[in-house]
Amino acid sequence: MYQDNYEDEEFAGNIDVVAGTYANIDDTEDGGMDDEEMLLQAQAGAQSIPEPVRKFLGHLHRNVLSSNVNDLAYNYETQFTRLSEKFFAKSAWPDPHYVAALVGDDGLFLTLYRELYYRHIYSRLHPSLETRFRSFENYCDLFNYILNSDGPIELELPNQWLWDIVDEFIYQFQSFCTHRMRVGKRTAEEIELLRDNQQVWSTYGVLNVLYSLIQKSNISQQLAAGQQGGDVVEAAGGFGARPLYKMLGYFSIVGLVRVHCMLGDYTLALQTLENIDLGNSRGLFTRVTACHVTVYYYVGFAYMMMGRYADATQAFAHILTFVMRTRHYHQRSHQFDTVNKKAEQMYALLAVAVSLSPTRVDELIHGHLREKYGDQQHRIQRGGEEAVEVLSDLFLYSCPKFIVPNPPNYDDLEAAAAAMEPQAFQLQVFLREARLQLVVPMLRSFLKLYTTMSLDQLAAVLEIDRAELRNQLMVYKQRCRQVRWTSGPDLLNGEPALATDLDFALQEDMIIIAESRVGRRYADWFIRNANKMQDLIANLETLQKSAATGAGSAKAEGAPADASTVEA
Amino acid sequence: MASTTSFARPSTRPDEIHSLLTGVERYNPQKIGLLEAYLAHQCANPDPATNHDLMANLALLKMYQFNPAMLDLDVVRRVLVKALISSSQGDFNLCLYLLSDDICKDASVAKLLVLRDYLEKAEFDKFWSEMYGDDDDEESVVDGIAGFDSGLRRLILAEVTSTYQTIQAKLVGTMVNLDEEAVLRLAKEHGWSVDAAGVISLPLRAENEAKATVISESVKFEHLTKLLSAANDM
Repeated sequence: MYQDNYEDEEFAGNIDVVAGTYANIDDTEDGGMDDEEMLLQAQAGAQSIPEPVRKFLGHLHRNVLSSNVNDLAYNYETQFTRLSEKFFAKSAWPDPHYVAALVGDDGLFLTLYRELYYRHIYSRLHPSLETRFRSFENYCDLFNYILNSDGPIELELPNQWLWDIVDEFIYQFQSFCTHRMRVGKRTAEEIELLRDNQQVWSTYGVLNVLYSLIQKSNISQQLAAGQQGGDVVEAAGGFGARPLYKMLGYFSIVGLVRVHCMLGDYTLALQTLENIDLGNSRGLFTRVTACHVTVYYYVGFAYMMMGRYADATQAFAHILTFVMRTRHYHQRSHQFDTVNKKAEQMYALLAVAVSLSPTRVDELIHGHLREKYGDQQHRIQRGGEEAVEVLSDLFLYSCPKFIVPNPPNYDDLEAAAAAMEPQAFQLQVFLREARLQLVVPMLRSFLKLYTTMSLDQLAAVLEIDRAELRNQLMVYKQRCRQVRWTSGPDLLNGEPALATDLDFALQEDMIIIAESRVGRRYADWFIRNANKMQDLIANLETLQKSAATGAGSAKAEGAPADASTVEA
Repeated sequence: MASTTSFARPSTRPDEIHSLLTGVERYNPQKIGLLEAYLAHQCANPDPATNHDLMANLALLKMYQFNPAMLDLDVVRRVLVKALISSSQGDFNLCLYLLSDDICKDASVAKLLVLRDYLEKAEFDKFWSEMYGDDDDEESVVDGIAGFDSGLRRLILAEVTSTYQTIQAKLVGTMVNLDEEAVLRLAKEHGWSVDAAGVISLPLRAENEAKATVISESVKFEHLTKLLSAANDM
């Protein structure tokens, strides 16, 4: 029934991102052929699809029609990945035209299929400019359909899939921005195409989609109502009450955080999360591990760029602990690679944050950090140009991909090619700050050795003159005061606090040093071990039970979403 | 003391600006004028406690980022000067992240970067000589910002008072670009005692106290939830 609807809605967008036609691209890819010929070809094409894939597509189609979320989750997370591996490791999935013949031209299904189809091309092959355009067009179709229907559409998808749609949409946007900026690598025809189609993957268009999804779902109102104990159902309204809209809205908030970070707007990134309480260990963001990890990655990164190293450290340490504890849950999940890669990057960022603003972190994390980046941390501590080099390397390895929101000037390609890449610019600004911060670990290592010390003594050790040392001490002082988040959903706010264990004051030329020590953490030790003990007993009990019931199915490795309950 | 960070809404921010910042109107280039006028308002206000609205100025820079054709370098300059004398040290960099390499090459902006460097490295003497040193047109970089000098002195003094317990008046003088007499007047104003040798004793605050402490652990209730629920099961 809704297929008809779908056709009507397709181009009636009230979102600005109209992507019906493109200059310079033939609208029909197979131009010149008549309908009958095309039909024959499509049928032949459908025949060429391997049997297991054809079966899979049939199941998938049926489950989409019936919105069978549980089965879809299996189709999507397990089967799709497996089939991609087996049949399409080095090629694209079957052409959507061929698939159309299998599913009776179901428009909505084909849009969803194309989303997977393009996503697969992006992840395994090199998408051509035209593929990038087509994929954008497909996203417009999908979002127009979801956003511009009179009532909520009859479709439910698993959270993981919804997350991946939003995540991939932003990834492709970022990829396009990078692609168009490298004018030196584009052919003349490509430049023409880019020049004539500036509405494709435009920053305003992408932001518009994300904001529209947020608005349509009333997700901000829902979250606010949840926090203030209001009526969430009432706040949700007709659209927002549906899981599809609610989750798309929610994931769009996280997506916005990412886009803001890619544009260098770190305050807006954190402001965007104002209705999401990260302290809530059952928050919606924990339902999809990739989302959970993404939120923390960008929050931590934004803090780091703001010079709030203590907050950054806390964010990274928190999520890395989570990843470590739940490792065995998502080892086999299809997000494993994504999660792992982000985790690796976060270790690098944590190494930066901890080196620049030394603090204690969880022992386990500390161990891993030493193992991976002990050498780099040591080199940062020594200061100087070498430290800056290490910082640059770690930064470039682990930072998000930055973008310029506007297309380059296609009329002056030389200048466009010579322009500094946003990556380099963000690094440069970050290093301005980080260079100053290098004083902290360096001075700290000397101050730690004394309780009082004269200015001359320290100057002699450091081989610098008194005046310079005075300045450096003031810089140290200034750098050790960071705004620190205390509590609540407002991540921007906080109190200025001392972010070091080593403080000092000057009485004219005498340095009075004060070190704060951390008392032994007995309670922490007991809680940890009590929990460990409890887990052990629980494990043994399940083992005993499953042994009793014969080869009981090992349910323990169920959905990755369960992982969130382990964290506490 | 007013708000402790630059991220909270200052008391002087009008409702119109506030709703602009919290909605999607922040992307509407037609609102650039509104934000520019608000910046002019901040620049005319000499009171350091209420004359800086970082979030509004960042929104303005974002407008330029999205609409390069509307870029006004003089406005960028003034946003940066405001951030330069802000008491939150991160403000300046947060502005820079929204600019581009090209903008940073502008003479005034480049000059501000140099000034900022001196300030951040606590090389105040160099800062002042760069600022008011050789020729007269230097002043233009901070033109049109009410209370620039006093804002800056306030900033430097805040750093001095959190680092030193006692300090030579002469040294303070070079830091804030005042002669010794003026520093003594300043000390009197703040109620600092000065001894015969010209050494100022600054009041002890948390920042310059340098007291060793032992951090004891605090157990939050959430940490106990697992234990308690297990205890409940038994």
